[in-house]
Amino acid sequence: MAKRKVIKKRPTDVVIVAGMRTPLTKSSGAFDALSAVDLGVLAMRELLARSPVHRDDIDQVIIGNVIQPAEATNIARVISLTAGLSHAIPAHTVHRNCASGMQAITDAAEKIQLGRSDVIIAGGVESMTHAPLLFHDRFRAAMAKLPRARTLQQKIPILTEIAKAPWKPRISLLEGLTDPTIGMGMGQTAEVLAREFNITREEQDTFALQSHQRAAAAWDAGFYDDEVMHVFAAPSFKDLHRDEGIRASQSMQALKKLKPAFDRPLGTVTAGNSSQITDGAAMLVLARREKAEAEGWPVLGCLHDWAYSGCDPKRMGLGPVFAMHAVLQAADLRMSDVDRVEINEAFAVQVLANLKAMESTAFAEQQGWLTSMGAPDMDKLNVHGGAIAMGHPVGMTGARLILTLLRQLRGEYDGGLGLASLCIGGGQGGAVLLSSEAAGLAS
Amino acid sequence: MKTVNLINEPAVAGVASQARLKFERTDKSVNVLDKTSMEQLEACLGTLELDPPKVLILESGMRGCFVAGADLDLIAAVQDASEATKLAERGQALCRRVEVLPSITIAMVQGSCMGGGLELALACDYIVAIEDKKTQLALPEIKIGIHPGFGGCVRLPKRVGWVKAVEMILTGQSVDAKRAERIGLAALCVQPEQFEAAIGLLAARGKVKLRTFQPWWLKVWPVRALFFQQVEKKAYARFKALHLPTAYPAIPAVIHLLKETIGLPDRQALQREAHSLGQLAVTPTCKNLIRVFHLGETLKKQDAVRRGRESVAGFSKTAVYGAGVMGGGIAWVATKTMNVDLHELSAEFLSRGMKGLSDLASHGGSNSKQRLNRIRPVLDASGLDGADVVIEAVLEDINVKRKLWIEVGKSVSKETLLLSNTSSLSITEMQLRRANAGRIAGLHFFNPAPKMPLVEVIAGEKTTEETLDKTCALATSWGKFPIIVADRPGFLINRCLMPFMIAALRLAEAGQHPEHIDGALKHFGMPMGAFELADRVGLDICHHVGEHLSEAFDSVRAMPDFFEKMLADGLLGEKSGKGFFVYDKGKQGSLNPSLVKYLPSAKKLEHAFDADMKMEADVMSVTAISDACLIPMLVEALHCLHENVVDDPEHLDAAFVYGIGFPPFRGGLLHYFATFERLLLSDKIAAAGLNLPDNMDVLNAFRA
Repeated sequence: MAKRKVIKKRPTDVVIVAGMRTPLTKSSGAFDALSAVDLGVLAMRELLARSPVHRDDIDQVIIGNVIQPAEATNIARVISLTAGLSHAIPAHTVHRNCASGMQAITDAAEKIQLGRSDVIIAGGVESMTHAPLLFHDRFRAAMAKLPRARTLQQKIPILTEIAKAPWKPRISLLEGLTDPTIGMGMGQTAEVLAREFNITREEQDTFALQSHQRAAAAWDAGFYDDEVMHVFAAPSFKDLHRDEGIRASQSMQALKKLKPAFDRPLGTVTAGNSSQITDGAAMLVLARREKAEAEGWPVLGCLHDWAYSGCDPKRMGLGPVFAMHAVLQAADLRMSDVDRVEINEAFAVQVLANLKAMESTAFAEQQGWLTSMGAPDMDKLNVHGGAIAMGHPVGMTGARLILTLLRQLRGEYDGGLGLASLCIGGGQGGAVLLSSEAAGLAS
Repeated sequence: MKTVNLINEPAVAGVASQARLKFERTDKSVNVLDKTSMEQLEACLGTLELDPPKVLILESGMRGCFVAGADLDLIAAVQDASEATKLAERGQALCRRVEVLPSITIAMVQGSCMGGGLELALACDYIVAIEDKKTQLALPEIKIGIHPGFGGCVRLPKRVGWVKAVEMILTGQSVDAKRAERIGLAALCVQPEQFEAAIGLLAARGKVKLRTFQPWWLKVWPVRALFFQQVEKKAYARFKALHLPTAYPAIPAVIHLLKETIGLPDRQALQREAHSLGQLAVTPTCKNLIRVFHLGETLKKQDAVRRGRESVAGFSKTAVYGAGVMGGGIAWVATKTMNVDLHELSAEFLSRGMKGLSDLASHGGSNSKQRLNRIRPVLDASGLDGADVVIEAVLEDINVKRKLWIEVGKSVSKETLLLSNTSSLSITEMQLRRANAGRIAGLHFFNPAPKMPLVEVIAGEKTTEETLDKTCALATSWGKFPIIVADRPGFLINRCLMPFMIAALRLAEAGQHPEHIDGALKHFGMPMGAFELADRVGLDICHHVGEHLSEAFDSVRAMPDFFEKMLADGLLGEKSGKGFFVYDKGKQGSLNPSLVKYLPSAKKLEHAFDADMKMEADVMSVTAISDACLIPMLVEALHCLHENVVDDPEHLDAAFVYGIGFPPFRGGLLHYFATFERLLLSDKIAAAGLNLPDNMDVLNAFRA
């Protein structure tokens, strides 16, 4: 193996002290009765109970969330107060679509770097189950007029208008997964990549199968035991630990049977080779290295750099390529220097397209890069499964990727480098470069 | 000493003249209406009547209390009915004088406003409820065996309507500021800062005109009859087995009074109220209930609680081990003030425990969702370092418990209290060879933990005073009544309860019908009969405790043989669905048909007292049965006092009321038997085959 690049430790580093997530459950599944707030509270409370960081050590809370519930505007604040944090600790919510959880963490890191905070809880929460059903705008407009109508005469036409307005609810989850600037659903952007990079249905299904197999194996081997908390959720209060979406018995035959979900009849993207709609929450404690060392907290790893890049919204799935390129360039690293990579599996085809683009000299030339950046080996990529098996609670995934990447580096590549990245609806990519700490405990 | 101050604020330009009656006293922690304060109030009213101000405001200068009602000692001391009637008439006259004052009268209620305090407020034109955690309005007289006597029964229905009024008077339940406004009791519910603004607003509204009768349908005679029939049915349902006119005479009396006074002119209605109160105030029930109330207070305010209060105030997390019925119940109790980590070894038990807790929450109060959120289910040792208290309710096995304390000891801080909810194991034994022995104590809850007020606090040999103090204060902060008991087998309650149960079993063995025995005990006032109790506790547990105690103490008789046979056949009581009775989803059904196999006396009774039934023994009278069961309990209780299991006989009396539901209207176990002729009692003890305890003289102190 080539000599490993080592990045020097500095007292001002942003380090990760603790992390915890809930299991991921299918939409309308085991967390059907839990709101995004409930999920966030569960994860935050568990994180605090398990880490040596006292709740009063926290300087602020930043949480990413996409489907922000109407009953909990600024969900970060609602979660931190409900979980029992002092009202003196400020909290805010961030939104960058699929990267919201990652955004929360990088925002926290920047605040720590600037010296504005020492200790921050950052993470992501999402209950896709509770994406609301919406009234048609004509219905809303009529309802808004109603209170202003005084007499019966004024009221009658408004009531007629309400009766005539479309009553069929709009499904906000579907609308949220559609890019309004191009009028395309996320699945349709994935189909664009399949056509441009010539990725077959079979290649996609193979990748999807591998995701399930890897996730199942990782759970069986106990990899996730300490990353994921046990949840006893109402109304059954059954013990839930393993991520609900994983199918250990998934097979090519079963995947083959599925119909294209977004482009019938010729498309290749199916429910089986896309990420699952899920609920979940993940929380991390970030701190400045000198603070963590002074308090004697364990240091799990260090966040080195991060980048977000824009790309063509029609090819939003390519976002990770641009973001990872930016991060590696800035650190003067090559892909081969990185020990583990997590690319969020929004769609199997999107990850595969990323790999092809990274390998391709033509693509590099097109972007004006000197050489192709090189793709990670399959045995370094999403080693413990990904969103196709476990699910993609949009606002939460970014935080989960960072947590799981860090934990696998600690297990097998103590002190190694990792890259976590995801594509972002609307045509963006986000990437974070981090390393685990060999000793685990601060010296 | 001043208890009421009259402050005059003469009219100044643009502002009408005001006077304030301020209740404030230095000799007690709350405002009560006793002789002094009533005299002073009368004097103040005399002044006011001479020169009535435009606006009169009643307020309290004490935090957390408006007027807590008439002085209980005053009622307890009353000896004959006419004296009590006079007392009521005096209070009525006072309220009447406030009512007819030409001023606009406003009662500004902040803090508790109970009984006589609320009746005084009701005499005002307006009540303003000021939002505060402590603001509670109620007419709780029924809880001490009387009914409102200062005109509450007459004025409350006018204010809130008959339906709400009857409910408030019959249950004694309190309403908070918001609810007071909603039901019309208070004219306004305001924030403390809006005190003066509220006065201005109401003063501008002027005197209140006559209030209309509501609801109108109560004027229809048949509907009214039906209404009171329903009220009666509901009120009596709780006391099916009791003879209500002797047990709780206030309930039938107040229903009768309300029914009678509907539509009567005030003067006549008030007369009847005062008369009826006079009759009730001299009943033994009234005296006993006041006594029991004081007993509870002595437990809550004992020295240990006072000493430990401060250190407990900073507690924030409890770790409970064991998510069974007991552990879950304790966890729920603890959520009242603290976060709870509920530890369990298996996920299955934990999920069952959480389900049980959500059931508790579903019939809990308004903050039950919040309380449920405070519980964190835990499968490992996480979070122990932050725990202020660890309470274990795991398997009753000394080795299991000792092992647990070793494990827990590794992670907890040096301050953490380590409490064991054991019913039969020795705390001293748990402390053996433990470095943290001083912080180990027993905290024994009774089932169901959220409902039963008593907890036994058990001091092992090495338990420090500080630990005891903190434990008592902790229990009080959760609304429980702690009693400190010595580390002897069975502690206090179970040790005395077993002889009671064994006596009942022996009676059945000798031919008495189990349903008859249970009926007699319930008629006496026990919340459940001995057989139902055995079923609910579990026959296996009863057997275990019974054997254990009869080995330890000569005075406890052995369990009868048939009990063991039932156990061997898997009749475990409620948990197995069948014991002495049949159970369906926790509801008691009929007598178990297969019981005849073990107890020939359990044959179906067609006519309960039919002498033709070929029973082995004559049917005993109801009192004979309750005496036969209770006397072994009394004897054991006296032994406990003799052995200093508890120091204070008063505490013991309180423990029986709050721990096993000894009928409060009988005033307590010792108190009840103190009314017996000594010779008669000695005979009864001898007849039960027991030796006369040496310390029978203890009972003397309970004689009135």
